[in-house]
Amino acid sequence: MINALRSFLLAVLATAALTSPAFAQGAIKIGVLTPLSPPGDAAAGQFIVRGAKMAADEINGKGGVLGGRKIELIVEDDSGTPEKGAAGLRKLAGQDKVVAVVGQFHSSVAEAVQDLAEQLKVPVFLTQASAKKLTEKHLNYTFRTHVIDPDRVTLWNKWIQQQGFKRVAVLAENTDYGVGVVEETKKQFVSMNVKAELKTIIFDRAVVDLTPQILEIKNWKPDLFINVGIGTPLYLITKQAYDVGLFPAVPMLMSYDAPSRPEYWNTLGEKGTFATFIVYYHPTMKLTPRGEAFRARYLEQFKEQPVYGGLNAYAQVMLLADAMNAGKTDKPEDIVKSLLANKFVGWNGTIAFTRGEGPYWQQWTPPMLFLQYTKPEQAFPEAKIIYPPELKTGDLMLAPKR
Amino acid sequence: MDAFILSQYVLSGLVIGVIYGLMALGITFIYSIMKMINWSMGEFYMIGSYVQYALLAGVLGWSLWYVALPVAMVSVFLLGLLVQRFLLRPMYVGGVERRDEYATIVTIALMVLFRNLAIVLGGPNQYAPRDYARATTLVTLPISGNRMVALLGTLVLLALFFLVIKTTWIGRAFRGAAQNRVGIQTAGVDVLRLDMLAFGVGVALAAAAGALLAPDFLVYPENGAISTFKGFEIIVIGGLGSILGSIVGGILLGVIEALGSVFLSPAYKDLYGFVLLIALLVFRPTGLFGERERTV
Repeated sequence: MINALRSFLLAVLATAALTSPAFAQGAIKIGVLTPLSPPGDAAAGQFIVRGAKMAADEINGKGGVLGGRKIELIVEDDSGTPEKGAAGLRKLAGQDKVVAVVGQFHSSVAEAVQDLAEQLKVPVFLTQASAKKLTEKHLNYTFRTHVIDPDRVTLWNKWIQQQGFKRVAVLAENTDYGVGVVEETKKQFVSMNVKAELKTIIFDRAVVDLTPQILEIKNWKPDLFINVGIGTPLYLITKQAYDVGLFPAVPMLMSYDAPSRPEYWNTLGEKGTFATFIVYYHPTMKLTPRGEAFRARYLEQFKEQPVYGGLNAYAQVMLLADAMNAGKTDKPEDIVKSLLANKFVGWNGTIAFTRGEGPYWQQWTPPMLFLQYTKPEQAFPEAKIIYPPELKTGDLMLAPKR
Repeated sequence: MDAFILSQYVLSGLVIGVIYGLMALGITFIYSIMKMINWSMGEFYMIGSYVQYALLAGVLGWSLWYVALPVAMVSVFLLGLLVQRFLLRPMYVGGVERRDEYATIVTIALMVLFRNLAIVLGGPNQYAPRDYARATTLVTLPISGNRMVALLGTLVLLALFFLVIKTTWIGRAFRGAAQNRVGIQTAGVDVLRLDMLAFGVGVALAAAAGALLAPDFLVYPENGAISTFKGFEIIVIGGLGSILGSIVGGILLGVIEALGSVFLSPAYKDLYGFVLLIALLVFRPTGLFGERERTV
């Protein structure tokens, strides 16, 4: 009798579960395609995955999307190489049937991925890939919530003018990002009438000994050195520039926010002091309620400040969920329509995707700040904001002579 | 360009060239004894750098790098013995018909395995031990203390290696095996045991390069790729199996890359070595110090 009753109850429960809308349609899958192993910037990828997972947990904790369906993240490693990126996207779109992909970090990879995404009709989000041409192609399925290189270059040219630098040397890796930044700097030096001499050197990203190039720059006697390495090359340049006496005697600007990560001081030690770097987020920034809630949970969970890549990936998954809810759809084509038709709450403002001119196509741009570490092992929140003038908390500090 | 600046570029090429030579020496030594190419040589370099970092960060403290260095070498030497005993020896005793293909497949599989193990155990991020010594100047070249230590360490290891090869019984046995593997067996030498030692010594030399360069070239799962890449270039330039060739080839490659990347373009730094390599293959296929193989 008891067995019969147990069987009946189990059958009732199973029927209820199988006929509920959430189970009937299954979880909605979102792909995270990002560098998680070398030669890509694997640390960046790890933060992106963290942010995306926190968003999925938050959405699922509040009951999911489209009336109770859970978000399931499928994480793929693109290793920072276009061929692995393309293979990853094929797997995510073909095998896993994801409705969208977030997490693109390297511009060279993003270019391969976005062309394929256009064919496969899957929306792809550029989380930290900044090459201008990625949104300049005006593809329907590519969205970006990150800065574009012309804006980055405009800002550092303004800083060069403000500081009165006269000889600027740029050492850039031979990737879409590095070459694009060099070309843009040359172009804008003319268009912005920057009164400084410019020396640019492009190096092979696979090379580990950059001493001859750094010596060449040192012998050219610059008063500003711009380090356009991503991941390991950024650290190799910094170490070798320090060792030959180029940096910190000459101020160095790093082109992105790697120094905001905990690994920075572990890798460089005191050689990282006096570096200036670009960030898109600072712990003193006022965020949206959604951004503030994320920051609080991140601090509680990981006992460290969130970094921009995590914030941005979090916001991208959240806005994808919002777009699905607003459009009442899980179809990639309709998600694109919803993304274009609606406004979304990001981590520090409202995100709207418009189809503007040139690279401002389905593009939303976060703020950019120049920070400087002035003490060894300085905590990220204590780094001074030195540019732009309206936000600065200190001036560029030159290193004392060694 | 004045002589001062030119001398800096040449010296920077010379320094990295000598270190390249150490990377290539292990490859050429293993080839000369075992007549096989070890494609996972870069991964033994990588393991050497990880062991060095782990010892300094977790056990010895940053200042005792000179204690960690021989420990890292011995650890990788022992790993090499195991690899040779269990994975490579079968091709010499099991009647394997296509020995070269067997060695290629096994060592490439090891390369993939070790890289992935490094990612699993150490994560994908890079690490760096603290500096071994303070920055200094070598004639006209400002140089990091680490690079100076690597240069001196390489020279000491090369001298020790030559000394052992030229003056000891085991050195004579190695030279004998390099000349004629069958011949030394008739003299009572256990050639399989010699292979094991040769493999261990070869990979320990790669580990020494990894440990010496760890603060400058960092510690990460793919840091050995450059060592394999340059190592094979050098042994073709210097002559397969020639120990002197690996040193001269390394220096030549270092200087050509340094000058080419300054006077031509740094974007093609790796190309200059290959141009030299192709030229040598056309005009002197045996490399600078290689000898044409003689068979009876």
